[in-house]
Amino acid sequence: MNFEEFQNQARLYVIGALEAEETEAFEAARKKFGQKADDYIAECYTLHEAFALSLRPAKSSDALKERLMAMVRNRKET
Amino acid sequence: MPLNVLEEVSSNETGTIGRYDDYMDFLSKNLADDEPQETPAPRVSPAPVLEPGAPSDLELMQGIQQADPEALSLLYDRYNGILKALILRVIHNEAEADDLLQEIFMEIWNQAKNFSPQKGKPLGWMVTLARRRAIDGLRKKQAYARAGERLKEETEQQPEAWVHNATEEEITFGDTRVLVRKVIETLPVAQQEAINLAFFSGMSQREIAAKTNTPLGTVKTRLELGLKKIYDGLKELRDEL
Repeated sequence: MNFEEFQNQARLYVIGALEAEETEAFEAARKKFGQKADDYIAECYTLHEAFALSLRPAKSSDALKERLMAMVRNRKET
Repeated sequence: MPLNVLEEVSSNETGTIGRYDDYMDFLSKNLADDEPQETPAPRVSPAPVLEPGAPSDLELMQGIQQADPEALSLLYDRYNGILKALILRVIHNEAEADDLLQEIFMEIWNQAKNFSPQKGKPLGWMVTLARRRAIDGLRKKQAYARAGERLKEETEQQPEAWVHNATEEEITFGDTRVLVRKVIETLPVAQQEAINLAFFSGMSQREIAAKTNTPLGTVKTRLELGLKKIYDGLKELRDEL
């Protein structure tokens, strides 16, 4: 696998779309390319942001936030 | 990509007239093939624009790492809408989405120490976490079929699930969403569908191929081309900034 092929696979990898047999070859290439490969994979996660940001925000109730913050404060105190 | 529109795509490929007339122009422009289109991807902002003086996401994450509840409160206010939309997109159930959203923000609180700015931005980390939890929830319920049906019902009322009109509450993220949407809309419909099923439904290439009755190699090509175009669109702006 050359680096361009690795890049194509990396974009599939970050969205979990690689098949098992592809993942094996991908991991081998990842080791071969080292830090450059890890850096590229990290960059690919911007795709996650983009897909999330393409959605219209959904409303949540105020009660949900109150419950969350109560749990957090309890957790902090204990 | 709405499933019913995909069925429409299949029909159109065999010459049958589809039900969604308002889609016809869009489909005819995008269904010719899976090759990247010549139109360059629009520039996109990789992150929402914050109010002047507002703490950055990274500053808030650092606050959470130091166990400051106010930092979590602000991060919640900033991103609960986006994360809930993502969860809803995966599991299509309001009550379950609320439960998951609460769990995810608790996980953000508990796992903040594992966040490293060297590995990415806070929003990316949160989205990855939220998506994983949502897809896990979907799989636990073994709800692929039901989710597909719900998605189909939902998209019959809202034909393009990725396209939304901006509302007042979206001002903060509105521009970003419009720009990201423009990138996505440059893709052929079949590529949008493949990415949609992979990202929001957590399907493998084989599952997408089975679901859409498409050869596996074609699914792979659609995913690769579509993701590359979106990635390049995002990178172009990042390089300029």
